[in-house]
Amino acid sequence: MSEVLIADDSEFMRNLLREILEEDHRIVGEVENGVEAVEVYKEERPDLVMMDIVMPIRDGIEATDEIKNGDPEATVIMCTSVGQEEKMKEAVKAGADGYITKPFQKPSVIEAIEDAVGA
Amino acid sequence: MEVDIQSLETFNQLAAEGAQQATAMLAQMTGIQAEVEVTKITLMDRADIGEELAGQELVGIGFDLEGALVGDTTLVFEEACTGPIVEALPGGAAGDEMVESSVKELGNIMMSGFIDGWADFLGTTIEHSPPEYVEATGADVLPAADDPNEQVFVFKSHIEWPGEDLYFYIYMLPAYDQLTELMADSGTGEDAVPVDKLSVFNEMTKEGTATAAANVTQMTGIETDAEVTQISFAPVEDVPKQVDNKAYVGTAVEFSGTPSGYLMILFDEESAMNVAEALMPMEPEGEGFTDMHESAIEEMGNIMTSGFIDGWANVLETSVDHTPPRVVHDMGRAIIDPLAAQVGQHQEHAFIIESHMQTADLEFGCEIHALPDDAELRQALEELDVARKDETEPDVETIFE
Amino acid sequence: MKVYDSSTGTASSPEQERVKVGIAEYEVTTSDATLTTSGLGSCLGVALYDHGAGVAGLVHVMLPSADGVEDPNAAKYADTGIETLLLEMERVGANRDSIHAKVAGGSDMLDFSENGSGIGVRNMEQVESTLDDLGVPLVSEDVGGDHGRSLRLDGASGDLTVKSANKGSKTI
Repeated sequence: MSEVLIADDSEFMRNLLREILEEDHRIVGEVENGVEAVEVYKEERPDLVMMDIVMPIRDGIEATDEIKNGDPEATVIMCTSVGQEEKMKEAVKAGADGYITKPFQKPSVIEAIEDAVGA
Repeated sequence: MEVDIQSLETFNQLAAEGAQQATAMLAQMTGIQAEVEVTKITLMDRADIGEELAGQELVGIGFDLEGALVGDTTLVFEEACTGPIVEALPGGAAGDEMVESSVKELGNIMMSGFIDGWADFLGTTIEHSPPEYVEATGADVLPAADDPNEQVFVFKSHIEWPGEDLYFYIYMLPAYDQLTELMADSGTGEDAVPVDKLSVFNEMTKEGTATAAANVTQMTGIETDAEVTQISFAPVEDVPKQVDNKAYVGTAVEFSGTPSGYLMILFDEESAMNVAEALMPMEPEGEGFTDMHESAIEEMGNIMTSGFIDGWANVLETSVDHTPPRVVHDMGRAIIDPLAAQVGQHQEHAFIIESHMQTADLEFGCEIHALPDDAELRQALEELDVARKDETEPDVETIFE
Repeated sequence: MKVYDSSTGTASSPEQERVKVGIAEYEVTTSDATLTTSGLGSCLGVALYDHGAGVAGLVHVMLPSADGVEDPNAAKYADTGIETLLLEMERVGANRDSIHAKVAGGSDMLDFSENGSGIGVRNMEQVESTLDDLGVPLVSEDVGGDHGRSLRLDGASGDLTVKSANKGSKTI
């Protein structure tokens, strides 16, 4: 059972992700912006971060960049409504391990996680 | 063909003044004090023109224009208008056959009022054919399209008769090539917009609308249809009139990049309720529109916003960022007016990118309105490589090999 | 722009006692008509009335100041809008010394400006300073907040009824 941190400013989306993930994973935190994501990551060192991009205070790409700089072993999956090629390239550059576009289906989330952290 | 902002303003002004003249003619003949609510120039699919008339019983007085301006113009009255109008005419309240001829004649005079200003501006004459009387439902009151898929400019005026709570409309559909030539000739060449690229941008936006609609279907199971996408140009003070003043629930964001501006996703209250409940995994606690409903609409707005603008970014090979959505639940015009005012701080006219979607059965309607900064929209059009227009989807294969 | 003057007859038919004021428009009544405007977000509705002369007017302004802008539409801006309304009211018989003002609107909903104050706040600041310059007292106001408003000015009493989508209505 891997540990997961959920970073998304939408309460609705956090609930949805929690429902999908809590069957097989332990949710170590739910945060609403990139600053909190970095902080909680440092404290908890979860196996996986599900990271939204458009968030207040600090966006998910910057947060990913910082998490990956501090811990190259970190696994971060972007989970966002943004489907822009340039943004995807930025995410790859920041070190993202996967990219899920919203709206998503449950199987695609599970598949992305399996690909990123192993089953 | 390049058309500058100044000539778009001028032509919109001509249509606005023409509508006012036509309304003044009506007042002179009948004493009816109608008010021109809004006049705008819109670039859209020929087939979608008059979509807002759907279901209404209408009377149209149609004219062919010849001379400096070629095309069709139709005065459209709600059928319920004709009775009071005929009664108000001198010697009114005559039999049925008189209704047609009275309304035709009135239309004839109003049309002269509408057209005269154009002719004066262009320093030439515009002839109009004798009026043709049509009774029809919805857009059938307008002339049939030669090519429904062609994008054309239409000048629309929305006129209100406050005493009777009735409306009428003026639709002018000039021949596209001739109109764009006229506009190009009357400009100064500054701040020019390549009009053909504006059509391409419209097509990209149509893809964005389709993506946003597909998002709705994927998330809620609600099958949308009747999607309409258009781009209009109007004075900033007319921008809030694009939206009804009934209550809406929705989201607003500021987007930045090429272009930047503001974008709203608006649902009427009933649709918002339906969408939110279709999204929620369980029954909401509490009555009415709860925080959970609001959160669901927030996320729906977020996803639809991306669906709508990502296509622009991908075709332009740039990124367009947006702020987290702010949820609003208020009168439609009060929602849009702060955004129009923010745009209005540095421009007097605005482009309005607008999409509508709805369903045939279940009560669902959604409107998307974007207000781009006009200098940045022009820049985006300049940078637009028409050959890439279908590249609205990201090339996932090459990014994540 | 029309004046709903009972003496002219054509502009205001007797049954039409409600007159709508659009965005960036103003109207004046000398026949106790009700002037309405709707959907104010950051826009402001400024009501002026002179009881003695029986003249009332309402302007729906969108932006603070016409300063440096060549825009023919005076009623779009708080400064020129109020001036234009006042002059029109004086033209039809109002006396500047007995004109009072009420203001509503200027919400800061959907303000994305990151620095400085939003348009709603700046609109209100401009209204206060313009009224001050013109010597017109501001007797009551319902401004700010994060909700839209619709207004109804009773030309006879000077009562300004402010309705909001979710917060009911009140008369100021």
